Amino acid sequence: MWKRSLNGRDLHFYLAGINNQNFLMRDRETGTWWQQITGKAIYGPLQGASLELVLSDELTFGEWRSEFPGGRVLAPVAKYAKEYDSDWEPKVAKLPVVISFPGTELKSRDVVIGVVIDGAARAYPWTSFTKESPVIDHLNGTPLLVVLGPDGKSFRVFVSRVDGREAEFFLRTDTAASQESSGYRPTDKKPWSLIDSSGSEWNFQGCAISGPAQGKCLERIPALKDYWFDWRNYHAETSVYGGSASAH
Amino acid sequence: MTTSPRVHGQIGNLPHREPESPHLRLWLAFSLSAIVAIGFFFIPAFVIRPFSYQAPRALVVAMALRQRAPVGTLVAGLICLVLALVLWRAIGAWRKSLIALVMIFVAFSATMARLNYFEWMFHPIDSQQFIAQTASKLDSKEMIMAVSFGNDARAYPIRQMAYHHVLNDVVAGTPIAVTY
Repeated sequence: MWKRSLNGRDLHFYLAGINNQNFLMRDRETGTWWQQITGKAIYGPLQGASLELVLSDELTFGEWRSEFPGGRVLAPVAKYAKEYDSDWEPKVAKLPVVISFPGTELKSRDVVIGVVIDGAARAYPWTSFTKESPVIDHLNGTPLLVVLGPDGKSFRVFVSRVDGREAEFFLRTDTAASQESSGYRPTDKKPWSLIDSSGSEWNFQGCAISGPAQGKCLERIPALKDYWFDWRNYHAETSVYGGSASAH
Repeated sequence: MTTSPRVHGQIGNLPHREPESPHLRLWLAFSLSAIVAIGFFFIPAFVIRPFSYQAPRALVVAMALRQRAPVGTLVAGLICLVLALVLWRAIGAWRKSLIALVMIFVAFSATMARLNYFEWMFHPIDSQQFIAQTASKLDSKEMIMAVSFGNDARAYPIRQMAYHHVLNDVVAGTPIAVTY
């Protein structure tokens, strides 16, 4: 997601083509061509310009609804409703790729979470991330917390630092047991409790809800869920978390 | 005395060849303008086609042509038209049909250079509507893209965005482009 004003002028974008399965857009004002994944103007009058990234999330509707009770949802456009494919994800995952990076650590259609800190890029393979979450990592000297939400589908990336000090986070897994033993009726919702080494409890929005850090919030880091081939194509120097080149 | 007719004949040959030469040039000019007009549309359309590899250089050429295609097809197309009209009187039936066929391609290119056929496949949202989350029929497990500025929190269902691809929105006064 991008801010679409540049030097005081609002731009209006439209779909204009495809570049190795990442779409190209143009703005109505100048006709400049922009690459969707990078927000960069690659050809035309504004060539070389960059759009400013907007911090956004990929969440389940359920998670978002609980976080933003007053939020509003883009309504489906009635005449295109039948074009909205509920099966788009598995279908896209089966599409052939036109660029590939043989010899790299992942397969083309492997899903990754891509993070960039001051030019250093790292990909967190989705499958191993969901098993390992919360992932504590360092990228370019910045301590990171990559965490899967209570729904098992939403994710967020934070700077893993509280009051200027690096923090350790882990998911408390004994919640269900303690709730059951105290006569608490388990619900179908998986218990999710993120705590740090000081004993503070944090919610998925990255804010401490109890303990010494209560009221504090972690800094959010933009992250992109993408296919490996696309991420690798635009981040040639990317490391892969858990891979051979990520241990720095 | 005997050389006189030969000399005469040689002189006479020149004006005889003369009418063929401008025709050839006209045909060449016509073909060239037609190739230019058609190329302005077809080269970028060929390069920027889905499920194919876009080489960096080919992509730049494609974008450069597409950028100039509305003017390029118009100028080249008009030159084609003028040349076609000039040639028309001097040619036979099968050459006329050849010219007509080429002109159809030229007109097609000039038209397509002005239309965004990508939006025929993936229609844009012209005027987006938002509904309260309580009124939404989305399943809890459905993925959405979310953004919030101040008190304005918005969700864009990925299933919808995977079709429209791009949406120009304004959230709490901030113009944003939602892309997927």
